[in-house]
Amino acid sequence: MILLKYCNVSRYNISKKVILKVKKRHKKGKSGNGPGLILSILLTFCILGTIVYFVARRISSEMSQSAISNLSESLELVRGTIEAILDKEAEFQKLMAQEISVMGNPEKFIQSYSGSQTMVKISYIAEGTTKGVSNTGEEFTAEELDFSSGKSVGGLPVSTSYLNDMGTWAYTIKCPVVRNGRETAVLYIEYIYDSFDEALPSSFYNRKATLYIMDAKSRRFVLKPKGLKERTLGHLDLNDFYRANLILEPEIQEEVSQCIRTQRDIMFYHTIQQKDSLIYMWAVNEGAVYLVGYVPIEAIQREGDAVNQNIFIVVFVMLVAFVICCILYFLNNRQQMRYRKEQERERELHNQQLAEALQAAQIASSSKTTFLSNMSHDIRTPMNAILGFTILLAKDADNPGKVREYTKKITASGQHLLSLINDVLDVSKIESGKVVLTIGEFTLNNMVSSVDAIIRPMAREKGQEFEVLVSGVKQEHLIGDETRINQILINLLSNAVKYTQEGGNIWLRIIGLGQHSSQYEHIRIEVEDNGYGMSQDYLEVIFDAFTRAENSTTNKVQGTGLGMAITKNIVELMGGTIQVSSQVDKGSLFIVELDLRIPDGKSDEQFWQENKIHRILVVDDETDMGRNIQMLMEDAGVQAELAFCGEDALCRIRSAQEMGEHYDVILLDWKMPDMDGIETARCIRKIVPDGTLILLLSAHDWDEIEEDAVGAGIQGFLTKPFFVSAFKEKIFEINTAHDQEIQASENAKEHSLNGVHFLVAEDNEINSEILEELLEVEGAVCHIAENGHLAVEAFKNAPPGTFDAILMDVQMPVMNGYEATLAIRSLEREDAETIPIIAMTANAFAEDVRDAKDAGMNDHIAKPIDMDIVRKTLYKYLKEK
Amino acid sequence: MKRNFIKVSAVLLVGAAVYATAACAKEEALDTNLIHKDQGVEKVVNLFTPVEKSNPNAGNVARTAQEISIMEAEEKLNLRVEYRSYTAEDYKEKTYDDVALDRVRSNMDDVYLLNPDTIQVLGAEGQLADLSGLDNVKNLREVVKAANMVNGKLVAIPQEVVSYGLFVNQDMFDDYDLELPQTPDDLLECCRVFKKNGIETPIGANRWWLENFVLAQAYADLYNGDTTDEEIAALNSGEAKYSDYMRAGFEYLQELIDLEYIDAETAYTYEAIEGEGPDFLAQKTPIVMAYWAAANADTAYGDVDFNLQVIGFPTKLGQMPVVSMNGYGVGVKAEHLEDAMDMMNVLMSDQTLQTYADTNQVISPSKNVEVDCRDALKPLNAKINEGVYVLGSNANMKLEQWGNTCLIVRSLLKGASVDECMAEFDKLQAETLQ
Repeated sequence: MILLKYCNVSRYNISKKVILKVKKRHKKGKSGNGPGLILSILLTFCILGTIVYFVARRISSEMSQSAISNLSESLELVRGTIEAILDKEAEFQKLMAQEISVMGNPEKFIQSYSGSQTMVKISYIAEGTTKGVSNTGEEFTAEELDFSSGKSVGGLPVSTSYLNDMGTWAYTIKCPVVRNGRETAVLYIEYIYDSFDEALPSSFYNRKATLYIMDAKSRRFVLKPKGLKERTLGHLDLNDFYRANLILEPEIQEEVSQCIRTQRDIMFYHTIQQKDSLIYMWAVNEGAVYLVGYVPIEAIQREGDAVNQNIFIVVFVMLVAFVICCILYFLNNRQQMRYRKEQERERELHNQQLAEALQAAQIASSSKTTFLSNMSHDIRTPMNAILGFTILLAKDADNPGKVREYTKKITASGQHLLSLINDVLDVSKIESGKVVLTIGEFTLNNMVSSVDAIIRPMAREKGQEFEVLVSGVKQEHLIGDETRINQILINLLSNAVKYTQEGGNIWLRIIGLGQHSSQYEHIRIEVEDNGYGMSQDYLEVIFDAFTRAENSTTNKVQGTGLGMAITKNIVELMGGTIQVSSQVDKGSLFIVELDLRIPDGKSDEQFWQENKIHRILVVDDETDMGRNIQMLMEDAGVQAELAFCGEDALCRIRSAQEMGEHYDVILLDWKMPDMDGIETARCIRKIVPDGTLILLLSAHDWDEIEEDAVGAGIQGFLTKPFFVSAFKEKIFEINTAHDQEIQASENAKEHSLNGVHFLVAEDNEINSEILEELLEVEGAVCHIAENGHLAVEAFKNAPPGTFDAILMDVQMPVMNGYEATLAIRSLEREDAETIPIIAMTANAFAEDVRDAKDAGMNDHIAKPIDMDIVRKTLYKYLKEK
Repeated sequence: MKRNFIKVSAVLLVGAAVYATAACAKEEALDTNLIHKDQGVEKVVNLFTPVEKSNPNAGNVARTAQEISIMEAEEKLNLRVEYRSYTAEDYKEKTYDDVALDRVRSNMDDVYLLNPDTIQVLGAEGQLADLSGLDNVKNLREVVKAANMVNGKLVAIPQEVVSYGLFVNQDMFDDYDLELPQTPDDLLECCRVFKKNGIETPIGANRWWLENFVLAQAYADLYNGDTTDEEIAALNSGEAKYSDYMRAGFEYLQELIDLEYIDAETAYTYEAIEGEGPDFLAQKTPIVMAYWAAANADTAYGDVDFNLQVIGFPTKLGQMPVVSMNGYGVGVKAEHLEDAMDMMNVLMSDQTLQTYADTNQVISPSKNVEVDCRDALKPLNAKINEGVYVLGSNANMKLEQWGNTCLIVRSLLKGASVDECMAEFDKLQAETLQ
């Protein structure tokens, strides 16, 4: 056991250390690793973000370069196409000039030539003249054509752009007509820029890019891209292009001018319509015209942007996934931590419970050891007395005086031993939950009387004052287990007597508190003494079993240490509470509170009317007592008037008589100042008729004053505290006094067992011998059967009427008492059902009584045998018989 | 809570996976040829129209009523309108009307937005298609049809009845305690006061719209009397002379120039609004002339910092609006003639004209369309509703009024005398009689 305890403690300590270490590690982890981990994650993300950013930038840059390269190639292609068209035009014009040179009448040929969508006007001016002919019919002069730019196509001079007769922008190429090495004329052909329309891409960068053709000299836009709407249509020339697109930086404009002058291409970034764009100007035909336009960066970098977007989507999705994983990990970790903590808590709780259980077991073991020690002492002490006096009895058998003295002491020791056994058995039953309350109706009067009858002699023996006070109780008839309530009161009061020094005071107060409901009486029972008192430590364990206050004074007191445990258990079984307060050398106070059911209405009023008691006079110097009686009697329908001294009582009686009225009963307190109750009764008796009942009310013994009281005309005595039921009984007793006297003498005769023939079933030889002797002393005869079967046989074999009653033990070999009773009751003879069978057994509990009755027995007498009880019980059945 | 989080996370992840899979998945091309070009023939209508110079913030500028109408037509007919335009950079260059004439005659486009004079010329030449067969022509006001009828053909239809008036800065008039002018003398007095108070050029003018002064004074009696048809008939027959009608207006204009209330030199070079507009907006000039819609357009006089009022031109009959109608004509040999006619039909529908009128707050050519106008335009609108106005062009007159008057006024601006100008009218009238 010790080893086990040590092991437990060691394991507990080890596990505690481990937990502490784990906790420390957790704490360290929480406070130390957290920021580091977060920093590491942040650093990782920063590095990752930087890498992604630079990768995206690099992709963007490379894609941008690639896009610019693609744009350049596209512009080169357009330039190549336009230049190819121009070359073809020049080539064709040369061929035409060649053909014309050999014609006889070139003017006629020109006039006959119809124009086309490209060559809208063909004109011919012969050498030496300023006017010529056109295919459109009108006269043609070259005055308005400007060839000063010095630009040429395929070696042929080309004019600057102009608005032609068709209302569209055009240019003219002039080609000399050479015959025999001599220039004979000039062929002018007008071309319109609209003819390039088909050569330009119809959906340049998905219509996001614009492409104008600009005349380099006039910087006028001579061809506008398709798809322009009204709001974007109004670009007239390069300056207007600058204005409309907010390209207002002089250095850019200067750079562009420089490039146009030197016939170079130019491309630069600028914001157009709030979008980053690339502006391009591509020289065509040695800078005679320029391809001008812009494209938003987003349009040429769609692939790059798409790649970057996808990268960012992937990174974002991975980031989201990572965050979700982190959260899941965190949640899981938190759950694990919580689980671990719960386990640790459970382990700690378990260890604590184990420790407590161990402690409780140790205390219990210690208590039981102490109990056994006490029991050994407490049982041996009376047993020693019994055995010792038995030896002395044998020795002094011839000395009747000694014999009586020894038997008296043996009886006392036996009684003590019996109470000890009863207590132990009670605790055993309570602890095993076998206690069953026997609920029945009872009166407080009877309860207090029986308790008073037991306690008052005990208190008197020790010279103690025992005072009983009842107040505020509205219902005397209550429903509950009277025996157990008695047990509570006797336990508390006997302890009070035991643990109060000689000459001390003991109070029993029964106080009616406010009713919780109309069906229950809420009663407080207070037992107070001014005795030795108890220490605070003991108060904490007073209601535990096998504990007993120990000090030099109380050690002299014998007891099992079970009384208070039994009391508390019974109180709680009844649904009540018990409290105690105490101070060493000052006394103790026990407070029990119970709710007891009130039986269905009983009509008291009828009793008082039948006995013609309508008005009483209560004479008591204690105001509270008087008022309590007044309240109780008025509840019963009887008018009660109060007088607080003898003189007052006399006055009231006289004035009542003067008014022609009278009191039916006068209750007089004995102890009153100036004039006591007896003296007052004497005076009253002089003025009231004998029919008026005068009763004395006192807490003192009637015996002491009976003679004086009767002499003073007092007809009866009521003990304090006052109970209506006791009052009623007294009235009834006085009114039926004669009948009772007759009855009493009859009882005395009939209680005798003389001549009665018993069948006794008892397996214990000693017990049967004792019983046989005791019955013999009473004049009765008995036949002993050693078990139930023999008893049944004996009854069966005996003629009817042989036995007047059967005393049946319960626990017997072969056949127990219950079986034997059933067997007897089932016999087919006329007295089998009627013969009184009384259980006489050491099985003394309420359920034993019930079992006995269930088996067919008439009553139950508990061992050890009390002949008075045996007589009374048997008389009841024998009288019936 | 944790369980819910796990559920939401799972749904998000699955959603992301599905999205990513769907976004990245690409349907495999089943054909060998990877180029899929729509082979359908796209319907196109080429529209020649004058436009203002593009705004720097062109993408965010609200669409004009014209563009909205065109878009409605594009949507309804599932065709694409290709805009073509010409804007003269300065007065030395060909005018829009010149270019329009060339382009119509050369059959360069399908639909043309034409001024009244070019409508009359081209109509007379038979270059414009007859629009009278369009369904929605029935909705047009009679005056609109009459003004655009040449040789019994409806050759053009306007989107708005253009009304010209004087745009005046009421605050400046109030500053000098001046009443808005009713008669030519009133205007002279106002100009005198302005001039006296340091306003160098009280009337801002451009090379296009000064003829309104002349036309208003010339034909106030003719259009507001009971003998309109007779008088026009007399003019067409040569019994009456245009110069007799015009002289008073030209003399008045000459007086304004002589008194330097109008700067003839700058007026000759200014394009409409572009030239005189900035000074008017800057409140340096109290009076300009413009058409109705200029009071609604932010690019013109729609957003001014002063109390703007639009009134008629002063005549002896009081304030007189000059009503003119430029309109859409369709080339008779247009490449996309059928689509162009369909487009015209949509443009003339009540629904589209309502949109146009609501956007520009102008008088609609449809008798079924009404519109509320802004406060500044109410004086002018009141006159028109009263039927008090002068037509700037009238196809019934054999001599085209709007363009010729404009050109002769330019001559005046260049220094020609009133007599020379009247002689030009007589010459032109004589040509019409031949």
